[in-house]
Amino acid sequence: MEILKCQGLRKVYGTGDNQVVALDGIDLSVDKGEFVAIVGSSGSGKSTLLHILGTVDKPTEGTVTIDGTDLSKLNPTQAAIFRRRKVGLVYQFYNLIPTLTVRKNILMPLALDKKKPNQEYFQKIVDTLGIADRLDALPSQLSGGQQQRVAIARSLIYRPALLLADEPTGNLDQKNSREIMDMLKLSNRSLEQTILLITHDEKVALEAERIITIQDGHILSDDRREVNSLSM
Amino acid sequence: MWKEYSSDYRKNNPSSSLSVRISALISALLLSLLCCLFYNLWKYEVERIELEEGGWQSRLTGEMSPEALDNVRDFATVEDAVVNEKKSRDGETVTDLYFYHYRDVLQDTPRIAELAGIPAEKITYHHQLLALFFVRDPQDTAPRLLFPLFLLITAMASFSLVVIIHNSFAVSMNARIHQFGIFSSIGATPKQIRACLLQEAASLCALPVLMGNLLGIGGGMGLMLLTNVLLGSDIPGRHEVNPGYHPLVLAVTLLVTMATVWVSAWLPARKLSRLTPLEAIRNTGELQLKRRKNSRLLALLFGVEGELAGNALKAQRKALRTASLSLLFSFMAFTMMQCFFTLSEISTRETYFERYQSVWDIYVTVKDASVENFPETEALQELAGAESAIVYQKAVAKRLITEAELSEEMKSFGAFSQAPGHYVAQVEGGWLVNAPLVILDDDSFLAYCEQIGAAPRLDGAVVINRIRDVTNPDFRHPVFYPYLKKDSVGEAPVSVLRQSGSEDVAAQVPILAYTTQVPALREEYATLDYYELIHFLPASLWRELRGQIGGAEENVQICVLGKEGVTLEELNDLEAAIAALIGQSRAVESENRIREYDTNDTQLQGMMAFFGGFCVLLAVIGLGNVFSNTLGFVRQRRREFARYLSVGLTPASLRKMFCIEALVIAGRPILITLPLAALAVGTMLKMSYVAPGEFLAEAPLLPIALFLLAIVACVALSYSLAWWNVRKISLAEVLRDDTMM
Repeated sequence: MEILKCQGLRKVYGTGDNQVVALDGIDLSVDKGEFVAIVGSSGSGKSTLLHILGTVDKPTEGTVTIDGTDLSKLNPTQAAIFRRRKVGLVYQFYNLIPTLTVRKNILMPLALDKKKPNQEYFQKIVDTLGIADRLDALPSQLSGGQQQRVAIARSLIYRPALLLADEPTGNLDQKNSREIMDMLKLSNRSLEQTILLITHDEKVALEAERIITIQDGHILSDDRREVNSLSM
Repeated sequence: MWKEYSSDYRKNNPSSSLSVRISALISALLLSLLCCLFYNLWKYEVERIELEEGGWQSRLTGEMSPEALDNVRDFATVEDAVVNEKKSRDGETVTDLYFYHYRDVLQDTPRIAELAGIPAEKITYHHQLLALFFVRDPQDTAPRLLFPLFLLITAMASFSLVVIIHNSFAVSMNARIHQFGIFSSIGATPKQIRACLLQEAASLCALPVLMGNLLGIGGGMGLMLLTNVLLGSDIPGRHEVNPGYHPLVLAVTLLVTMATVWVSAWLPARKLSRLTPLEAIRNTGELQLKRRKNSRLLALLFGVEGELAGNALKAQRKALRTASLSLLFSFMAFTMMQCFFTLSEISTRETYFERYQSVWDIYVTVKDASVENFPETEALQELAGAESAIVYQKAVAKRLITEAELSEEMKSFGAFSQAPGHYVAQVEGGWLVNAPLVILDDDSFLAYCEQIGAAPRLDGAVVINRIRDVTNPDFRHPVFYPYLKKDSVGEAPVSVLRQSGSEDVAAQVPILAYTTQVPALREEYATLDYYELIHFLPASLWRELRGQIGGAEENVQICVLGKEGVTLEELNDLEAAIAALIGQSRAVESENRIREYDTNDTQLQGMMAFFGGFCVLLAVIGLGNVFSNTLGFVRQRRREFARYLSVGLTPASLRKMFCIEALVIAGRPILITLPLAALAVGTMLKMSYVAPGEFLAEAPLLPIALFLLAIVACVALSYSLAWWNVRKISLAEVLRDDTMM
């Protein structure tokens, strides 16, 4: 079942001589439950693609459909609600609210909708991610790896159709990187979570079942492969 | 959750919250003060009208029987109906109506008139009073500007405050753009972000708004009492203010304050909520320059720290715009005001009070009187406490001057070549000039003759034979020349005075003497028409001439000089004695020199206090902006300074940067104002012909220096507080801040 579809996606920054084409005619389709890694060198356009898929940026041309919703037709409010419910975003620098506890950070998307959390699901996520005992801590009291787990928990709390992760291990040591990747794979397998991971680290990309390589705003290759089981 | 987020932010960023609270307090204080002052102004106006014209709301003129009057009094909406004895005349009773509610006046007065059998055209409404209670009769076309003026001033004040204080909110909000970007990236809508910021603003400002309102009310009352102290009720037409307040005013003030604060918070909140998540999340809150700027002067004076401080100031230009403009305008206005009033005081003192010090102490104008028929003259001159009393009247006439009569000096500056046509008319045989007549009572005229060394006689006139050098515009130090030739003066025993407007009608007046001395009167001669030839005449001679050439003014003036070293109390007694002597049967206006001097002094001080207060207010706004900016930018400056530290700048260099910034903010108004003030003062000195040394001796250097020091001290304090917050920088912590992406 197709959950994401991009057609003729083009993104141009600047005008005249300062014009930079970040994406140039991207066609992409992702099925539900897929774990896709997008790789490319710095400036290849991979982050731009992620931002467009996360509705935090708009394409210059082309269409993007996620879970049946055409993103180009969303106004800012609709885009925010869509982001809240359908997309989970994980950044390299975690982007947690420093003044809120871990629990509040995780429950934020639900709180924005004035919804009460499903305690069972919440417990499952925090147990799986190993942060159950740090729920009342502030982000600044956590290690980088723990902060990234909180960010992942927050992105999963609404059971989004698509989880977008932008270099989620880019700021972590090897051990923490390994653990975060295992968490993502686990959520992909056990929750059937569709994941789109952006990385420039080939080792990390090899954890995905599909690797798309982007260069100068074009898709250079799209390889499907068998992956190892979890190393947990 | 929003609540918790906001309260956490407030706890962790007390300085940022403080600047918002101070802004809200200042806004509430100013608006409350404005509303309180307006209410008291309105109250004063109502009291004034009631005192001067009575508190009636409508008036019926016509015959009214006692039964009809009872019927009117019994009318449901009428509180009272009173016959106005002063205004009533034979057969026409004037009845003043007082209603319970002003809203009923226009509707019920015609019905009451009908009930009393008085035609509608005999109704008079007290439009001036009614307008103060929002009751406007369509027939009343006079502009009633009090309320529109208040609305305009309040709107302008609110707008100015929005411009000023929205920056405090913006600083506090912009420091968290990145965090709101995170909220947005996980699905917070723009509306939710806006609501969060506005709720936060409301909770931050509630207490300051309340306190500001109370302080404003207190300040307003205090100002009213101060006005009473400064002005009292000595000024004619002024009564003492009874300070008051009304709950409705409080409601209006709270509404206006809340609206002002809300708009101030809403503007940056809207801007922030409109940012795309990507823009917001990429924002690090650091000062940015849009394009490359050079701070050459600061770099030259202070080195690299100067350049960095200059760039930081340029990056903050928008945030500091209000502060820069307010401080500049306040200092400029204060300096100019001080200089202007000092100059004005010197000028008034020299041209008025000092000049007339030995000329008059009490000046009386008697309406519809004539000097030749003024029996009280002798009694006036014998009043105890009066050194002299000159009774005089002015009249207009014309005189023909031939070329042969003109003095050589007069000819040397072009004779009448520069004379305006409406003053001097060239006619056959010469020029027709104005010949103002000053008719003195006989005794005073005789004394004047003795004073100038002429034979004391009452059958002729004394002519002032002088003309100002018309080519020299210095009115303060005029140069006079003889008007008429000495030879011709000696050979011309008569002056032919012609009726102004009908020059064919003439009368011959013997000339007793030509002189350059004028009698001690509160009069200025040849101020507009330099070419007039002034004649002094005795009243007895005028009695004969009046019927021939006419032209006398309607009023008689009395110039009374008290004994040397006379006090205000003595003058008051003398004034009362004069009023008792001539005020019983005549309409009289009286001026008292010492009281006038005191009133002028008080008014000047009052005006200086008012304008000075305005300047201080402007400065407070500017300084408030400096404080809100410096206290609000702690976070962004920490990051900026961390970067500087990471490339090797020392904490001492950072402190130097702060000092330079403070110096520029406080110094800019001075650097711009001083040359402009010097230029303005130079122009004013030139125009008023006051000698620079004279001005410098009384130059208001102390108040200007104090005002300046206050500005510098406040800016220094704000930057010291900011430095206190910024200086503890943990390089690793700041550069590892969560806002890094």
